[in-house]
Amino acid sequence: MTVLVEKDRCKGCGLCVNACPTHVLAMSREINAKGYFYPLVEHADQCNACRHCAVVCPDVAIQVEHKGKATARPEALLDIAMHYCPGCTHGVIHRLVAEAMDALHIRERAVGVAPVGCSVLAYDYFNCDMHEASHGRAMAVATGIKRGRPNLIVFTYQGDGDLASIGMAETIHTANRGEKVTVIFVNNAIYGMTGGQMAPTTLPGQVASTSPAGRDVALAGYPIRVVELLKELKTPAYLARVSMHEPKAILQARKVIRTAFQHQVESTCFSLVEVLSTCPTGWGLQPTEACGWLAEHMIPYYPLGEFKTPEQGVVKETER
Amino acid sequence: MAKKLMKGCEAIGEAAIQAGCRLFFGYPITPQNEIPEYLSARMPAVGGTFVQAESEVAASNMLYGAAGAGCRCFTSSSGPGISLMQEAISYMAGAELPVVIVNIMRGGPGLGGILPSQSDYLQAVKGGGHGDYRLLVLAPSTVQEAADLVQEAFDLADQYRNPVMVLGDGLIGQMMEPVEFTKSIRPEDLPAKPWATTGAKGRKPNVINSLYLEGAKLEAHNWALAKKYEAMTRDVCRYEAWHLEREVDVLFIAYGTVARICKSAIALLAEHGVTAGLFRPITLFPYPGEVLAQAAERAKHLLVTELSTGQMIEDARYHLGKHRPVHFYGRVGGMIMAPEELVTKALTLVGRQV
Amino acid sequence: MYTEIILAGFGGQGVLLIGKLLAYAGMRAGREVTWMPAYGPEMRGGTCNCTVVLSDAPIGSPITKSPHGLIALNLPSLDKFEDTVRPDGVIVVNTSLINRLPRRTDVHVVSVAANEVAIECGSAKAANMVALGAYLGASGVAEPEQIKTIIAETFGSKPALVTVNQAALSRGYAAGQAQVGAAARG
Repeated sequence: MTVLVEKDRCKGCGLCVNACPTHVLAMSREINAKGYFYPLVEHADQCNACRHCAVVCPDVAIQVEHKGKATARPEALLDIAMHYCPGCTHGVIHRLVAEAMDALHIRERAVGVAPVGCSVLAYDYFNCDMHEASHGRAMAVATGIKRGRPNLIVFTYQGDGDLASIGMAETIHTANRGEKVTVIFVNNAIYGMTGGQMAPTTLPGQVASTSPAGRDVALAGYPIRVVELLKELKTPAYLARVSMHEPKAILQARKVIRTAFQHQVESTCFSLVEVLSTCPTGWGLQPTEACGWLAEHMIPYYPLGEFKTPEQGVVKETER
Repeated sequence: MAKKLMKGCEAIGEAAIQAGCRLFFGYPITPQNEIPEYLSARMPAVGGTFVQAESEVAASNMLYGAAGAGCRCFTSSSGPGISLMQEAISYMAGAELPVVIVNIMRGGPGLGGILPSQSDYLQAVKGGGHGDYRLLVLAPSTVQEAADLVQEAFDLADQYRNPVMVLGDGLIGQMMEPVEFTKSIRPEDLPAKPWATTGAKGRKPNVINSLYLEGAKLEAHNWALAKKYEAMTRDVCRYEAWHLEREVDVLFIAYGTVARICKSAIALLAEHGVTAGLFRPITLFPYPGEVLAQAAERAKHLLVTELSTGQMIEDARYHLGKHRPVHFYGRVGGMIMAPEELVTKALTLVGRQV
Repeated sequence: MYTEIILAGFGGQGVLLIGKLLAYAGMRAGREVTWMPAYGPEMRGGTCNCTVVLSDAPIGSPITKSPHGLIALNLPSLDKFEDTVRPDGVIVVNTSLINRLPRRTDVHVVSVAANEVAIECGSAKAANMVALGAYLGASGVAEPEQIKTIIAETFGSKPALVTVNQAALSRGYAAGQAQVGAAARG
């Protein structure tokens, strides 16, 4: 097996070094063209081809080749350096969405709706038609596209401010009308692009720039669990929550995101996948620490699993 | 109180506190995030209330509620957020409520950009929301002036029972300059508002409303509002006349931070032997058009400069008449003119080789 | 006096902070000052810069296309701003992260391995202070003691940081004086 690192794509987040179970990789002492330290393949002989390094890399900078098969950038993801902060898992989520489009052969009839937030430039990264929406209104825009051309596969990609704050009315009504669109909801418990303000998903006690003493539930209420909220609607839907904090979780997320898109392909129902994601910059943590914080603090409040399927309706807690 | 180095946004937040305001409702949007961030700590510290609303639609309606209850309150946003607030602003103007709204302008239209612009001038002074109403609009040029005008805005809002907008831009919002607060008002010293929804004990109920289904009544109401705006025009027009004691080759007409860039250009033009002055409207509504027309009589060439494709120039031209050309130099999209660009334009106007 | 300085690096290097210290010092010395950050999209995970103007008269524009001084903490910053500096201006180059010197011959250059010097003083994070000190030494635009006082106030709750930052400033100042110093001030 060969592990190939394209060093100048790297932002020095270190997630790959952390993810490798056999210590194949180590960070260099020299900086790359962008000014970041990058991973070196120190012990190639120890590689077991698990591909976890390629799975966790947010910048598609690592490829693993084994027995003639190689990981690769999905066709639905353009070869453009993404602007996200080092270690931000937006890059991973973009890759998973693109992989789903490739796997289901829907790229050429897909239209994505980009939000206002860190992923405002998503329209530069996906290799399909894209439409920019104003803050919070992506699902309304998606409704317009899908009602206008039902054969298109329409997806939105939204953050927690976009989907759960200003866009809450559109979120509930789009799900309630059962629009056959697919929503990728990136929950990182903070407002990233605007500089780290409290989000509806910010945890109790979590410090943000508009909750400098930590979120006080007496003043700001509790964080909103979107998937749990939407599952109470009578209209059928596919609702699931996944996480980006480690390779196993990412691989599970890949399956769930594909399932969500599959439902649209089969015109079954509205589908939404809430993806727990890191914000190293907003949280003030290094990328690997941020993954730890997510696991320790977010997952207990935002449990993972499939919450509602068109076949079963609401899934019992014990069966998620 | 000694001078402090503060960001424009922070100074605006502090100015509201010094004006006795204890309520802020807002939502994050660049480039004014420092206003809610600053107040999220400062408001609770002075016993006030800070709410990050779910959206600007919600925030502006929270403002409508609090103002109707007689509380001194304000909000801030930028272009896209101010657009969302327009319905509530129209309601507040119709219901004659005092509020202060700060717009830290960014590039537009649509999502536009986050860099500074002056592209919301027409939205601010010509309505923005529906119906026959006007906002009193103030435009500061320095961080100190932003603080002073925000403080005064609350008093003007109360005086006229009308929303007052303070129009800044990303430059003034983000830059730091020395600022001092010389006036401080306590909320308990503010005069009572007998028309507000404070609880009807011992009096007839108050109703905060802008609905007048009978035509004659709505007409009377609209003419009353119009009279109010005439009073504003008579009594509140403000401007700065810079180096206009004498005749000048070039008169710059600009507001906000662009006006200070003009001042740099005027100093550079003096080195070229070209005399120049600046007319800076401080109230954009009411627009100091008559004074501008008088000032223009002492200038050979007139040059409006804005961070837009030409908005304030419409008001300037209206007052300056059709008889002489009013030239324009604009930068947009968040690009900001350097003093040297204005110098070049001015030299061209006076016929110099550049 | 009318001096425009651009301070540039990548987000997290403390570029905005040293700009603020310079502005504070100017304000304390009774000058007119402005500090303006570049807050555009390049800020997120990318390059970062601010402009400081120090003046005896009220300041017009808070931004400039031709600064008198440039403090470059990383290579993209030097690449972006080198050619904008006025002739006879001062450029501080952080050689720890910049592997070339300015190509211009009409400016005064201070090259200092700011990250290494900062580590010697106690923390790599003080590289920004080293660079600021170097600029002061070369330009004479503010006295190091003024900045040291403000450092003490800013980091007052952490005395160890005060010491580190003041030491870093002094080391940079010495380099600035030695390499440019009197020559730049004519």
